[in-house]
This record gives sequence, structure tokens and C-alpha cells, in this order.
Amino acid sequence: MSTSASIGRPVSGQTATQKILARASGLARVEPGDVVHPQPELVIIHDGYVETAYQQLKAIGYRHIRNPERVVFVTDHEVAYTTQRAVERGRKNRQVAKEWGIGQLYDVGRGGHGHLFPMETGLVRPGMFLFAYDMHCTNFGAIGALAMGAGTEITAVLATGTLWTIVPHTVCVTLEGALPPGSHPRDVGFLLAHGFAERTWKVDHDYRVVEFAGAGLKTLDLAARVALGNSVTELGVANVLFAAPPPGLDFAAARDFVSDENAAYEAQITIDLAKVTPQVALPGGPERAAAVESVAGRRIDHAYLGSCGSGMYEDFVAAANIIRGHRVADGVRLFVVPGTTETARRLANDGITQVYIDAGAVVLPPGCGPCAGGIMGPLAPGEVSISTAATNHDGRFGPVGGEAFLGSPLTVAASAVAGQVTDPRGMAGASRRGVH
Amino acid sequence: MSALVRRGFCHVFGDNIPLDEGVMAFKFAIQRVNDPKELIPHLFEAIDPEFVRRVKPGDFVVAGRDFACGKTHVQGFIAMTALKMAVLCESISYKPLRRAAGEGLPVLAGCRGATEFAHTGDEIEVDFDTGAARNLTRGTRTEFPAMPPILRDLAVNGGMRGALANWLREHPEQAEAPVASQA
Repeated sequence: MSTSASIGRPVSGQTATQKILARASGLARVEPGDVVHPQPELVIIHDGYVETAYQQLKAIGYRHIRNPERVVFVTDHEVAYTTQRAVERGRKNRQVAKEWGIGQLYDVGRGGHGHLFPMETGLVRPGMFLFAYDMHCTNFGAIGALAMGAGTEITAVLATGTLWTIVPHTVCVTLEGALPPGSHPRDVGFLLAHGFAERTWKVDHDYRVVEFAGAGLKTLDLAARVALGNSVTELGVANVLFAAPPPGLDFAAARDFVSDENAAYEAQITIDLAKVTPQVALPGGPERAAAVESVAGRRIDHAYLGSCGSGMYEDFVAAANIIRGHRVADGVRLFVVPGTTETARRLANDGITQVYIDAGAVVLPPGCGPCAGGIMGPLAPGEVSISTAATNHDGRFGPVGGEAFLGSPLTVAASAVAGQVTDPRGMAGASRRGVH
Repeated sequence: MSALVRRGFCHVFGDNIPLDEGVMAFKFAIQRVNDPKELIPHLFEAIDPEFVRRVKPGDFVVAGRDFACGKTHVQGFIAMTALKMAVLCESISYKPLRRAAGEGLPVLAGCRGATEFAHTGDEIEVDFDTGAARNLTRGTRTEFPAMPPILRDLAVNGGMRGALANWLREHPEQAEAPVASQA
């Protein structure tokens, strides 16, 4: 199963990751394990870290950053300023943007989720290499871009224009078949994360690029790919990529950055999509996958559709197909958080927002929603939540002591209507993909 | 370039020591406490309440598989760095390994048999550049994998903060103006 890559085997082809990192590093070729210093085309930092990065660099004595024109500030963590501190942070972020002379500031009400809107607007493009503060930038793999999450080391990128990076190995995951009605790419992601964590395939995932391939890709649109890749990110994978563009999108400009047929993958896994059933992730992390039947009937207090993993237009359409004509169960609060301003506009325009409002859901402004530490729509100790959040460790939605389950948009919608964790396969609308 | 050789007494832990509620209580991460003076009294508190009374500057932590697992919060690394400690472990994920070096903490990974080589209280000497290790208490020696140069350089130069200070010295045009021109 495992083929060790590739030092000493220069005849092998290259993975997309090798090609993108080689180009960004100004090298003809790089191999897994090499230390490189790639130059990013963009550097993306969210509103929750700008001030900290500024203070850290200022404390060392920095006044100017490198390549400020490539730096983008996005506002998705705290978009409605629910505290005075948030107002002050927003003001500081604007001040830092001006002082550093950064390229683009997406302020409150502009753009929306920084892991989503750059794909809608063309800011992030196929073949691009970028650094971002937040680990969920792996989303950009859905559109063929390689974004490395630098975490707190983003300050080094700001100061020096680059960051030392080890070229990661790639694990190829071949998807066969198509998902059955009621199943969703998030379910695939939870199962894959579980398999990695439990070493089902005896494949290392730590700092590996997970590259999806196979005929099953043809059935997965951009939103589906975001959902799939996002669900394995928290495990500590280096990145997520896809071997072919999503339906309707053209990677022609990035053809050079698709893996060669004889690329040296470290390992290969095959998943039959037809066998995937709805899952939940038990509290603690996306890798804690369990069949939805195993917790069906568990009463819920809190539900939430959105986040960087499930915040695209198609996610809300799919969930609305289940919710349409129903009311959110008494005693359940359902928050709906369109990922981006463009998604919010389309949902309003197409009558989808009305479906949620009619059902008694609360529609929040574009951004992270409760997943950013419960700044909006928090979960209280002793309560139970099911959501499409990026992760579900204790305290993710505010105070510790709640129980947060994850599910697909279909499972969350079915559960919100029923007032308990519910298998979406029993709900009308679970198999419809269109708007009506 | 100075050699990275450390000598000290060992504190041996097992497998799967988490950063949160293992190396350091999670509450210090969410409170963003970064002052080592506040953090040191709580180092390894959850799994070994006596640790803080035993530990001395320059000591080693010797651990088994998947040291510093879980969410990568750095407060434990900050406390260990302030105590000039170093770590030998059988394995550690990429992110905490990188983050430890970024805080200036030398971590030697891939040390198979480390928890048999050294017992709590043993005095050892480790050359991180070569991986050569001597147990001075027991008169034994072994070879672990060397520390990757990029991590070693970070640890020696005071972590990322040190590296960025060095960069600024080499690129003074990025420095604060000598006299603040506040309007």
C-alpha cells in the first residue's frame, strides 16, 4: 500500500504539492522532506489575529512588513461587534491595515468568511500558493490552490515575506461511485478522519497532503469539496487537494499544477461513496465519527448551519429542502450563517432565506457564526448542539460543558426540525439537490 | 554556530501526554497567559503535581509516543523554555514539534527506547546536532536521530522571536523609526 517517496528516485512524477511549492520557491523541483522558503502570492489573516500579530512585530521593533500589497485582512470571526472590545479591535484592525499599507481589507459586511469568499471572487485561484493564519485555509484546495496554515508563525511571513516549509508527502484518496440520497460529503470527511485517526488503513496523516482523485470527483461540486476537505483538516493534515477541477470550473490556467500520473504518493486509499451513510461526529473532534443511528433521538437545544466547512450556497439549499414547510422544534434555536455576503445575497434572492425565517430559524450575518468561540449563538453548559461547524471540542461555541455533535447540513436540518438528532434519510427533501 | 548540547536530570513520562491538561491546563491557553512566571508553577500539574517541586532549570522531559498531542497550545512550551528544559520523545506530531522550536524549546523526536534509556532522576547529556546521548548516572550511551537543522537553528536562536529579531538587524529598513513621529 505504501510507497516511500521519492528521494533517490528522480524519474518519478511530481505531486501537485511538489509543483506548486517548487514554483513558489523558485526551484526546478522539490522533494518531500525538503525545506523550502516559498513566496506566497497572498497572505490572509482574519480579524481575530491582526492586532496580536501587530503587537508582536512592534515589540520586536518592526515598523514595516514585507510585501504588504499581498496581505489581505478578512473579517469573519467578529462581524457584528457584540462587545465594546470588538468595536475597539475593529478600529485597531483598520488602523493596522493603514499603517502597514496592506493590499486589501475586507471589513465588516465585506466579503464574509475568509476561507470561502476568496474562491467566489477570484481572489484565490487554481495553482496559487498562499499562506494564511488560520488552519482551515485548506478549503482553497477545493479550487486548486495550496494555502498553508501558518498559525502564529504568520508573523514571520509578515516580517520576512516567507516561512520555512517542509515539502509534505501526499496521500491519494480515490473516490469511487456516488453518494446515496441523504449522505453528504461531510459524512465522507468524518469517516475519512475517523479512519486516519484510528489507523484503519495504517496510513500516516500527520502533515500529509490528502489528494482526492477518482471517478467520484465528478459528482462533487465546489461546495462538496470544501465540505469534504474541511472535515479532515482538524486532524493535522498539511493540506487538501483534488486531482481534477470541480464541475463547471476550469483549471486550464493551473494545468501544470495537477499531480503527474506517476507521482510518488506515500500511500493510497480507496473509498466507495455509495457505501457512505449519514454520520455524526461525537463531541471532541470531527474524527469521532459514528453512524447517526447510534445517537438518533438525542434531544438538542442548539443547531447551526454554516462555518467554513458548510457555508456555501449549495449547503443552505440542501438543508432548506428538508426544512421547507416545517418549523424548527420548540426549545431548539437554529442559527443559519451564510458563509459570504454573496451567498447571503443569493439565498435571499432565491427565496431560501425565507424558508429559514418561516421555519423560525435565526439568520446571522456572513462569517464564522458560533464556531468562532461562540461570540454569536453560543452553547451553554449542559446543553446539546448539532451543527456543521468545523470542529466540536469542548468550548468551541463558548463556555465549556456543552455537548457539540457535528453532522452534515442534511442531518443538522433534520435534527433541528425534529428537536433531536435525526437521520435525514427519513425526511422528505433529503435527496433533492436543486433549489425547488 | 554554537553546538546544541544539553546536560540535565530526567523526568520520564509515558505515551500520549496531551498539551492541554497534560503539559499545561487549558485555561491558561484560553486566557492567553504567556508569562512564564505564571505558567511554570502549573507545568505538568495535572499528571504529576510534584513535578514543579522537583524540576530544576536545565532538566529533560523524556516521553513516549505522541508527546504534546491534542490542540497545539504553546503555554507549556513557554514554561519549559523559560526553565531551559529540553525534550526527548519517541514521537510527536509535526505541528507541536514546529511550535516548540518556534518557542525556543529543543525537542529531539524519534527517540525509540528513550523511556528505557533514561529513568526519572537520571542525569543525561544529549548532543542535539548528532543525536548522541549519554546516561551519566548509568554509564550507558545511545544514538538517537539528530535534530533537523532548521529546528535546531530556531531553538538555538531563541525561537521565532529570536529569528525575527535577527532578521530585523539584517533589514534595518523595516525597523521602527528611531524617533516616534506621533501626530
